[in-house]
Amino acid sequence: MTNTYIESFPAEAKVVRAAFYSSFLALAIGGLFGIVQTLHRTGYYRFMDSADYYTVLTAHGVLLAITFTIFFLVGVFTWAVTTSLDRPVEDIRFTWVWYGLMVVGTVLTAIPIFAGFTDSEMSASVLFTFYAPLQGHPLFYFGLVLFVVGTWLAGADWFRSWWAWKQEHPDERIPLPTFMVLTTTLMWYIATLGVAAAILLFLLPWSLGLVESVNPLLTRTLFWFFGHPVVYFWLMPAYMMWYIMLPKISGGKLFSDPLARVVFVLFLILSVPTGIHHQYLDPGIAEGFKFIAMTNTMFLLLPSLLTAFTVVASMEHGARQRGGTGYLGWLKALPWRDPVFAGMALAGLMFAAAGFSGMINAGMNINYLVHNTFWVVGHFHLTVGTAVALTFMAVTYWFLPQVTGKELWSRSVALGQVVLWFVGMTFMSNAMHRGGLLGIPRRTAEPQYEGFEFEAAVGSVGELDAQIALGGALLTLSLVLFFANVIGTALNSRSDDLPANEYADTLSGPSDAPLVLDNLKLWTAIAIVLVIFAYSFPLLSIIERGGLFGPELTELPVSIGPGLEYLSTTTVSTVTTAGETAIAIIAGVGS
Amino acid sequence: MNIHTYEKLWLVAAMVLIVGFIATITYGSVALGITMVGDQQETVEPTELNDERFSDPRVAQVGENEYEAYVTAQMFSFQPDPIEVPEDSEVTFYVTSRDVIHSFSLVGTNVNTMVIPGEVAEMTVEFDEPEEYGVVCNEYCGPNHHNMEGMVHVVPEEEFDLTELDAEAPDEVETGDDIDVTATVENRLLDPLETTVALEIGNETFSEDVTIDGGETYETTFAIDSTQLGEGDHDWAVTVGDHTDSSTVTVVDELEDDADGETNENTDEDADGDENGTEDETGTDATENDASGGDDE
Repeated sequence: MTNTYIESFPAEAKVVRAAFYSSFLALAIGGLFGIVQTLHRTGYYRFMDSADYYTVLTAHGVLLAITFTIFFLVGVFTWAVTTSLDRPVEDIRFTWVWYGLMVVGTVLTAIPIFAGFTDSEMSASVLFTFYAPLQGHPLFYFGLVLFVVGTWLAGADWFRSWWAWKQEHPDERIPLPTFMVLTTTLMWYIATLGVAAAILLFLLPWSLGLVESVNPLLTRTLFWFFGHPVVYFWLMPAYMMWYIMLPKISGGKLFSDPLARVVFVLFLILSVPTGIHHQYLDPGIAEGFKFIAMTNTMFLLLPSLLTAFTVVASMEHGARQRGGTGYLGWLKALPWRDPVFAGMALAGLMFAAAGFSGMINAGMNINYLVHNTFWVVGHFHLTVGTAVALTFMAVTYWFLPQVTGKELWSRSVALGQVVLWFVGMTFMSNAMHRGGLLGIPRRTAEPQYEGFEFEAAVGSVGELDAQIALGGALLTLSLVLFFANVIGTALNSRSDDLPANEYADTLSGPSDAPLVLDNLKLWTAIAIVLVIFAYSFPLLSIIERGGLFGPELTELPVSIGPGLEYLSTTTVSTVTTAGETAIAIIAGVGS
Repeated sequence: MNIHTYEKLWLVAAMVLIVGFIATITYGSVALGITMVGDQQETVEPTELNDERFSDPRVAQVGENEYEAYVTAQMFSFQPDPIEVPEDSEVTFYVTSRDVIHSFSLVGTNVNTMVIPGEVAEMTVEFDEPEEYGVVCNEYCGPNHHNMEGMVHVVPEEEFDLTELDAEAPDEVETGDDIDVTATVENRLLDPLETTVALEIGNETFSEDVTIDGGETYETTFAIDSTQLGEGDHDWAVTVGDHTDSSTVTVVDELEDDADGETNENTDEDADGDENGTEDETGTDATENDASGGDDE
């Protein structure tokens, strides 16, 4: 008899496992597309037409940024709520319903994306941001809606557990993991209103031909209303792991429960009213609105800086419990051979670097230098691509035994995997940042131009490409090792000798935290007020300027077939026009 | 709430950092007056860009060292391309899109803006040294996105002009008739332009020194005796500064079909050998229009 999660909550463990496996499938396909792009962009190996690159990029972005991250986090959140409240979900059928809805949504979204590789008329090569007037197949938007509704129901499930628990424990503080889940879910509810409005009011009706046009700046602004907080939706579960798992695995306790709560409250209230910082360079939005978003963004550094302190302090505490001494000597006492620890610690280290490049991005003026360059790609491969992804992969080595009841296939392979990811991403992301400073754009199949070349002050573009390709190859190898472990573990037989399902205790416990921190209604109200303050005037101004449904636009379904058709017709019409002009000139000369 | 002393210090340091960042940016925009892309411009209709600026994307001079560049972005090009501006100038770019979202980004600089259909991005840039900048679209705009590029040429002052040259001549003339080559030269600079309009035809060059006031158009016609050239095809080229316009004229024994050519009408008009060939409608500064009076070389 062990005390694993699957022993305590067998039904929930099945859902969590299903969510993890869905997440890993997305990671496998998305990762494969990652290496395809790396080799194509750097020119090392091109086997497809450059126009197909954008279909690959759409799949890479959607599968990794949305599917991989969110499937994993709903698993983690379900684990966190059930474990910390120590009660099963209220109705397991409801849990399967939201999981099913997310799966159906993903499949419906994937169909038009993958149809982009075929000759079919259907396509959605509109990238992860789907900026109008680029238009995807209606199924793409519809699938996204179903997926998001699935996550809404998942949130309802977690709230339902908490309410039921509260009836039985009226005077207890919300356990920290559940508190983190609830604040993150509230943030997600507010954030997804933006993308829901963009899709349901504008993009879906437009793709179905029900409305003639959309206001591109409006749908873009609504996207970023959601697009920035979504990064915190990925990041919060990683933070949760750093707060409640890392201290335990380090051998100690969480430094401070109250500050952990403060951090999550700050993310709840500050995540959404910042999205316009992705639009510093957009014409049609007044500088003042951008300034408000910039200020909010800068204050959003605070919870991350606090997290850095708490996480390092907790690790130091753990190390000293294990006999570590000295100013920095304690670092040696940490369990570096444990892949769960090593992965999370390296992910945290990379997140520090990501924080610095993020501060540059947030700087409203210096942003002009890096906006939409390769720098940004380097930045988010450190955040979602490492801080989040590497943390998820590392904790997988702890979670897999918990939800399967089987021993991890190989701890050494796991350790090699997390280190390889760290090294690979160091090469790739560093080179991407540097490339961005030279002005190399993101989101392009061939950053090689006819009229000019990118000039590197140090090194060369060839050297940067080599680093990116090397990094990509190491990351791919790392993924292969990860899946070997996941499959190897699934094929193992049940073990009776597994660690118990526990998370970290705290040095300074919830009793030190002021009661007001648990007042979720208050924080939600403040969050909504800040969102109204930051967004109502910009949105009204955009609608006033460009109209609710925008100017007349040329509809541009983006896929290879119609795209090329469009090109050939334009070429033909250009040639025809040129011919006519020539004739007219000749005629003009004559008369 | 129990907060550790070190944690309090960290909190204070973090707040100082954050307030410091906000202060530097505020200083930049308030004290240094760095203007960012905002909502300065009215909206436009992306499918009918027929206003004065975007119907003819170009560079225009608006002050001594001040220029405005009207730029359109469309799948998968920029207009005009290249954009030519002089050194030591202040150029305000107005950029809009005819179709989807693009960007207009000068490689290796902080000249960078999104280009959104319906909106006009405004950016003022100071150029000092002569330099060639690549322009990329850094927002995905469709299957050929990676081929969307342009150039900004910052040229030495003496090489810079805003001259528009258009030269016209008939395709065919009968032996004995004059070949009228008409050159229209527009000086879009504010200052007068002193230049030479030169016609090269056969082995001969005719030229004329002119001064065209700022914003004015000058038109001149060179009348060439076709007999001297003889029957056959003759290439001609009109040159003004760096600008050239050229084509070919054929001298034939007898025009085959009078109804055929609009070209003939022109020939007919001057058939009686109007030596002056003066069709000076717009050229206010035409000092001398008789091509034959030019410097024969």
